[in-house]
Amino acid sequence: MKEKKSGQFFAAAQQIGKSLFLPIAVLPFAGLLLGVGSSFTNATTIEAYGLSGILHPGTVLFGLMRIFADTGNAIFGNLPLIFALAIALGMSKREKGVAVMSAGIFYIVMLMTIHSLLVLNGSIVDGVVSETVKEGAIAEILGMKTLQMGVFGGIIAGLLAAVLCNRFYKLQLPSALSFFAGTRFVPILSMACAILTGAVLYVIWPVIQNGIYSLGSLVQASGYAGTFIYGCLERALIPFGLHHIFYMPFWQTGVGGTALIDGVTVMGAQNIFFAELASPDTVRFSVDACRFLTGKYPFMMGGLPGAALAMYVTSKSEKKKEVGSLLFSVGLTSFLTGITEPIEFTFLFLAPSLFAVHVVLAGLSFMTCHILKICVGTTFSDGLIDLVLYGILPGQSKSNWIMLIPVLIVYFLLYFVLFRFFILRWDLKTPGREAEGESAHLISKEEYRKKTGVGMAGGQSSGAKSDERSAAILKGIGGIENLIDIDCCATRLRLTLADSQKVDEALLKASGASGVVVKGSGVQVIYGPSVTIVKSNLEEYVGQVQAGEMNEKSLTLGAYMKGRVIPLKEVKDDAFASEALGKGIAIEPSEGSLYAPADGVIETIFDTKHAIGMTADDGAELLLHIGIDTVKLGGKYFETLVLPEQRVKKGELLANFDPDAIRAEGYLCTTPMIVCNTDDFKEMETVSEGNVDPGQDILVLK
Amino acid sequence: MKSFTYTITDEVGIHARPAGLLVKEAKKYGSVVRIEKEGKSAEAGKLMALMGLGVKKGDTVTVTVEGEDEETAAENLEIFFKNHL
Repeated sequence: MKEKKSGQFFAAAQQIGKSLFLPIAVLPFAGLLLGVGSSFTNATTIEAYGLSGILHPGTVLFGLMRIFADTGNAIFGNLPLIFALAIALGMSKREKGVAVMSAGIFYIVMLMTIHSLLVLNGSIVDGVVSETVKEGAIAEILGMKTLQMGVFGGIIAGLLAAVLCNRFYKLQLPSALSFFAGTRFVPILSMACAILTGAVLYVIWPVIQNGIYSLGSLVQASGYAGTFIYGCLERALIPFGLHHIFYMPFWQTGVGGTALIDGVTVMGAQNIFFAELASPDTVRFSVDACRFLTGKYPFMMGGLPGAALAMYVTSKSEKKKEVGSLLFSVGLTSFLTGITEPIEFTFLFLAPSLFAVHVVLAGLSFMTCHILKICVGTTFSDGLIDLVLYGILPGQSKSNWIMLIPVLIVYFLLYFVLFRFFILRWDLKTPGREAEGESAHLISKEEYRKKTGVGMAGGQSSGAKSDERSAAILKGIGGIENLIDIDCCATRLRLTLADSQKVDEALLKASGASGVVVKGSGVQVIYGPSVTIVKSNLEEYVGQVQAGEMNEKSLTLGAYMKGRVIPLKEVKDDAFASEALGKGIAIEPSEGSLYAPADGVIETIFDTKHAIGMTADDGAELLLHIGIDTVKLGGKYFETLVLPEQRVKKGELLANFDPDAIRAEGYLCTTPMIVCNTDDFKEMETVSEGNVDPGQDILVLK
Repeated sequence: MKSFTYTITDEVGIHARPAGLLVKEAKKYGSVVRIEKEGKSAEAGKLMALMGLGVKKGDTVTVTVEGEDEETAAENLEIFFKNHL
């Protein structure tokens, strides 16, 4: 029971985190506008770069920069509303548009309810906040003076609107009121619930606010140790995808500190940084805010590329070329953009102990930046792009970014040395060090096809577009029946399943993923930044499968003997020809060898060795019966080479027999292959006729 | 639940052809039919499992029938075994 609850919690938390990716995606762009705009409207910067000739109030360029700065700031200033809309979008299952509009209604009504109550209790008099109110407790949001709830307010509004939409979008009302039924009822109900929620928050939020303040001051007071723990936890949560939920309060609420900038109280580390960036009066960015922001630069720009180099030099020499391009690209991605999941996941699953090392180093990285008072902000993640915008452009005097360079170099060397040491010491199987014959990462299309049996010749015969990766993903999660929801974040495909026990991690990895995380009813498959395309393809594929255009179970069986193909109906044994045992095919052999028609597991070998039953990896139960009535030979002239429960590869030799001797005894050697569970497949198509060689495509099941 | 035991008289035991017939017969009923031989048992509706038992001439099997129509199913199956196996 407990496990189930934690699973549900994980699934919900995962979905909230993922919902936030849409607004988080806009932050780098908004940050770019704000960073460029505020840098070039800042008098000190203009002077420092000698641009006062073309950049001063009144010039077109200055006006443009002003617009950049203000519009960028508009995004950061209204993040709670944007979060409300995004969460409703992400958390609603149907009628997402209705949910989003309801979330907007919910949020403004909730704020206004609180505003009215504050006016009624005398906290706001004639539009002015009373002096008895604690500094920062009331803020102006969307033109309303109301309790400062930061992004939490937006998250609450978005979540509740989504819940209402999911619950009531199909509600039926008496016919007189039917105009208001269903989706139209959701915004109405949202407004009513928002009033109630506003009233409840009016009572409990001040208590929470005090709690946040004290937690924030505790973290602030805990000094360098606090920063270290923050850094470790933030990294340690990465595998669970919960890091966004962890750092958001620090970045966006009073937990991450409070500051008074240009007469406005600003809460949250990221908000403080950007308010300081926008303010012309800032002399130096505040360390108390940047301790939660800057610490990622050393290991993202220095450390992880160093780790990539360590993995490269420790890889086997014959694998260096293929591994090199992979490691170079993931290392560069981390350096430039601060997107680290691709590289972190190359070692997280292969060598978890390295990730533990990484977590500790990340904590130290945050602490080092704190101690050295380096203050470089970030919108999303810490790469070269953000360093230029929020460290170099604002200037050394504000950010102390030059100090970051030696730290980056030290971190590069530190990661290189430590990773190299641990990889060799513990003989860790990082890319290019796998045992012979297995390649966990760069799986070629050919290997991938072989491994999954998907998309091999005949797969396109239905006429619909074949999509091997999507088919493999569906197989890896236990089929389309097990799939409830598809979503993704920056690097992971996030699937909600009916039963996560059915996940086959090896198959999912074979589809090109660098890692798989299963928890509760959720599974995350890590593909890197191209995941949005994987997701779109999968959705399209699922749509096609559901529409019946394509069956996910497409299995191509190979010829299991050298000889001539004959239709099952022409076999001279009524038990087979009548298809009473199931549909299938037969081969009149010209040689005495029987091969596996597909990858699978041997189920039964008959005592008389003339028949073998196996289950193919796609679930087809196959009976291979050498000869007609040959049971009566009692095993004479047959030799089987496999055992029950043994795994076999397509084309593997299963049995030898002596066709001449069998024929001499008066028996036919015609060998039917029966699909015993014919009913599980929609159709069966014979794709060869005449003489076939072993392994040649012969029968396609769908 | 109804059950009966039967000793196989057919030359080849429960093999391809007779097994196929048995599967067909067993699927006629709503009840679940199981065949047990020396501790191993298999659902009679599943050809592979059934043949996996390797029932030969002279083996004694226990047939159990459980479900709504177990009375008629057991009666008919007993006749089927006598005629075909």
